[in-house]
Amino acid sequence: MLVNAYSKKVFNLAYQFAGSYEEAEDLTQDIFFKLHSSIEKYDFEKNFSAWLLTLARNHLIDQYRKTKWEKKSRDEFNEHLLSADSRSGPEESVMIQESKKIVWEGFNHLSSEIRMAIILRDIQGKKYEEIAEIMDLPLGTIKSRVNRGRLQLAKIFKEKREKVNGM
Amino acid sequence: MECERIEELLSPYLEDELTQEERQTVDNHLRTCADCAELLSLMRETRESLSSFPEVEVSEGLTEKLYELPQKRRKFRFVSDFLLRPSFQPIMAAATILLIFVSFYVFHPERSTINRSIESHLKIGFSKVEKLYAEAESITHAVGEYKDTLLVSIKNFKPFRGNEDEHPKT
Repeated sequence: MLVNAYSKKVFNLAYQFAGSYEEAEDLTQDIFFKLHSSIEKYDFEKNFSAWLLTLARNHLIDQYRKTKWEKKSRDEFNEHLLSADSRSGPEESVMIQESKKIVWEGFNHLSSEIRMAIILRDIQGKKYEEIAEIMDLPLGTIKSRVNRGRLQLAKIFKEKREKVNGM
Repeated sequence: MECERIEELLSPYLEDELTQEERQTVDNHLRTCADCAELLSLMRETRESLSSFPEVEVSEGLTEKLYELPQKRRKFRFVSDFLLRPSFQPIMAAATILLIFVSFYVFHPERSTINRSIESHLKIGFSKVEKLYAEAESITHAVGEYKDTLLVSIKNFKPFRGNEDEHPKT
């Protein structure tokens, strides 16, 4: 039941954060293993989804600090993501595809905490209050990190566009 | 300086979280600053790209592995429970002490001196054992001799000889 309900959510968070499909599969297994080990600690009055995402977030950031994924390259955007995107195809403009590709690659330039905040807010569409609970940080810090992340990605966009236009 | 302050307000501007006054300040700045206006437009584009990011399906292989995890954990718990059970603790403590001694010996910088000392102690011990063995042998020999003498004395003791003298051989 846990696998059916939460594997996709955890796997996508891991994939968006780590950028590698194989790495995300390993990380998802680690997170579910931790979930089974610490399920006794779960307080039933708390939101289970937020509790699980906190567990996932802690594991992902810990692993990131140990292995520094930023030094590794992310999967090509079109490898798994393009085939998964039902909106992609002839009807989605090349420009939108290009924007997604820039964002995907741009994640490598964001710090782990900012990357996590952006994924939770802008990809997964969570409320700031929920993100603050998951990341165990004050609301103001989360808002500031999301803003910084968006600014950094926008600047990456600008650089890429200038490069393309300059060529 | 003004641009930096405005940059801080761009996300709340996009999410309509600014007060009327703050919104007016940003609007006024954007009308005069092309860089910040471009940044806002790019931030909007970034958000749109992120919000339509595709969700990837979980592979069947991973789903199977996730279903098998509780069984793996049970096996792991069985092993850890077996090793950590209270009756195992004296053995673990003894093994730890042994390990400390072994590592002290293996990693000691003056291992050769320790070796020599152990060797000389062994030699002393061995010679002591040899000496004890020799002493034991001499004691056994002395006891044997004493036994023979005792047997002879008993044989020669009158009351046990019966009336050999009274009935001389014919």
